[in-house]
Amino acid sequence: MKLKPGRILAYIVLIGLGLVGIAPFVYLAVLSTKRRIEIPSQVPPSLNFNWSQIVKNYTEVLFSQGMLSFTLNSLIVVSVATAIAIVIGTPAAYAFSRLKFRNSESIASTILSMRFMPPIAVAIPLFLMVKSAGLQDSYLGLILPYVSFSIPLVVWIMIGFFDEVPREIDEAAMIDGASHYLILWRIMLPIVRPGLLTAALFGALFIWNEFLVALYVINSRSFQTISLGAATLISAQRPIDWNIAATVGVVTVVPILIFSLFVQRYIVRGLTAGAVK
Amino acid sequence: MSLAAAPAPPRSVFGKPENPRRTVLVLLGPCIVYLVLFSIYPLFHSLRLSFTDMSAAAGGGDWVGLKNYADLLVDPLFWNAAKNSAIMVVLSVGIQIVLGVALAMFFNLHLKGSWIVRGILMLPMLMTPIVVGLMWRALLNPDWGLIDWAIRLTGLEPPDWLGSVNMAIVTLVLVDCWQWTPFVFLIVFARLQALPLDIFEAANVDGAGPIVTFRRITLPMLMPAIVFAGVFRAVDAFRSFDLVFGLSYGGPARGTTTLSFFAFQHGFQFQNYGYAAAIAYAMLIILSVGTTVMLRYAQIRPETGR
Repeated sequence: MKLKPGRILAYIVLIGLGLVGIAPFVYLAVLSTKRRIEIPSQVPPSLNFNWSQIVKNYTEVLFSQGMLSFTLNSLIVVSVATAIAIVIGTPAAYAFSRLKFRNSESIASTILSMRFMPPIAVAIPLFLMVKSAGLQDSYLGLILPYVSFSIPLVVWIMIGFFDEVPREIDEAAMIDGASHYLILWRIMLPIVRPGLLTAALFGALFIWNEFLVALYVINSRSFQTISLGAATLISAQRPIDWNIAATVGVVTVVPILIFSLFVQRYIVRGLTAGAVK
Repeated sequence: MSLAAAPAPPRSVFGKPENPRRTVLVLLGPCIVYLVLFSIYPLFHSLRLSFTDMSAAAGGGDWVGLKNYADLLVDPLFWNAAKNSAIMVVLSVGIQIVLGVALAMFFNLHLKGSWIVRGILMLPMLMTPIVVGLMWRALLNPDWGLIDWAIRLTGLEPPDWLGSVNMAIVTLVLVDCWQWTPFVFLIVFARLQALPLDIFEAANVDGAGPIVTFRRITLPMLMPAIVFAGVFRAVDAFRSFDLVFGLSYGGPARGTTTLSFFAFQHGFQFQNYGYAAAIAYAMLIILSVGTTVMLRYAQIRPETGR
């Protein structure tokens, strides 16, 4: 097969782009296999892996540093908060998509604008609220604010998916005398299942990565979530053991890598919920 | 079907005729109540806090009127943070738009296997920003980082990425570009795929070269997508906090202290809740003025169900 020089150049660029995207992860993963003193001495790090050192680093991070229990905390908080946000947000999205009522447009844009709110603007009052309710260092103290962060996301992803369902479908059901509740539950939800998945995954991702509110609400190590745990272990203001820090990084993002396999098709919709069609 | 000229009023599950107002209330009510309690009320609470001198040390929280805002306007550290945020937004958005459009044009060649690279480029956007910061601190480590090593191979001396006050903000921008250029690319690329091909054929027939076609036809047609992506990125770059926390912790010498980070320092480290709330409100004001102007200019309206 003969290739034109331009074509070859294009492929070189393509491979280069792939490397730029993936190399930082690979580098972090390689660092996570090293002994502490190997990191400054092996430049670039060698690819001779020492299995027992890998086991040592990961046991240290998962057990001694508590990343495993942080992961479990995150899984609990993420799944409960996402589930609540879906249950509350989906019917609202259906109402915006299908019902006519006063101010529907301005209410919808208000909800959208919450997506743009800097978390720092509400973190302090949320913290004071959680504190006065005595919910510091509890799952509920995280779940309550997280649901409110996820709802706008869910509402906006779901409005997009509901709007895509042809109106003839629910009009036909209307004529047969079905109520909106019945249409939503029996007809729409099965159709918009990919939307529910997208909304749930992006809500979950947001909560997985969130740590500012957690920083305020959680003092006790036993309730730290994964990103808060990672943040306290690897934040830029303290000197760190790089092999351990890299292992913490890998442990934090591996679930996201798995997650990314599921979102390929819907990633644009998830990231831009609310404005592109 | 044809016999049911006048459909029976819809019935609820309980067999009673459906009351449309109640339906809206049932479907929408929980959502609104929740957001009022946990988003809107905290915002008002924040506003009230910003008029007090509440702090963890002094406790209390006496009404001080506009004092916090007046202090803010003469606080050189506030203006430093505002300057850093402005640099971050302008540089990030500018670079990401140029690179994102270039990437979209490149992927429009539809090389074999390019879908794999597209998939790879999604990953940075999903990553925990703290870990992104960590990753780049390792890559850019002056003693053993892979990038510094690679630059030295060519005989050049790498810049002091995170050690110099003026360079650190540029490094922050570059890392933000690594993470978020794919976002601009994805949106522009989606639009590019949706453009009608016959326009390009017509341009070709009329003898327009690739550069003229790009400037006169492609770019104007991509404009809505570009502006849209730019607005999204501008807002996110403006609020960005986690990356700063993970990459540079506001330093060195406050060189990467953005408004978000500045508010965090007052709210969390120094626990001056009143002052921090005032900073947060200054951000909200900038944000709402900024987005209103941009959205008006861009003619984007959030789409609701029509």
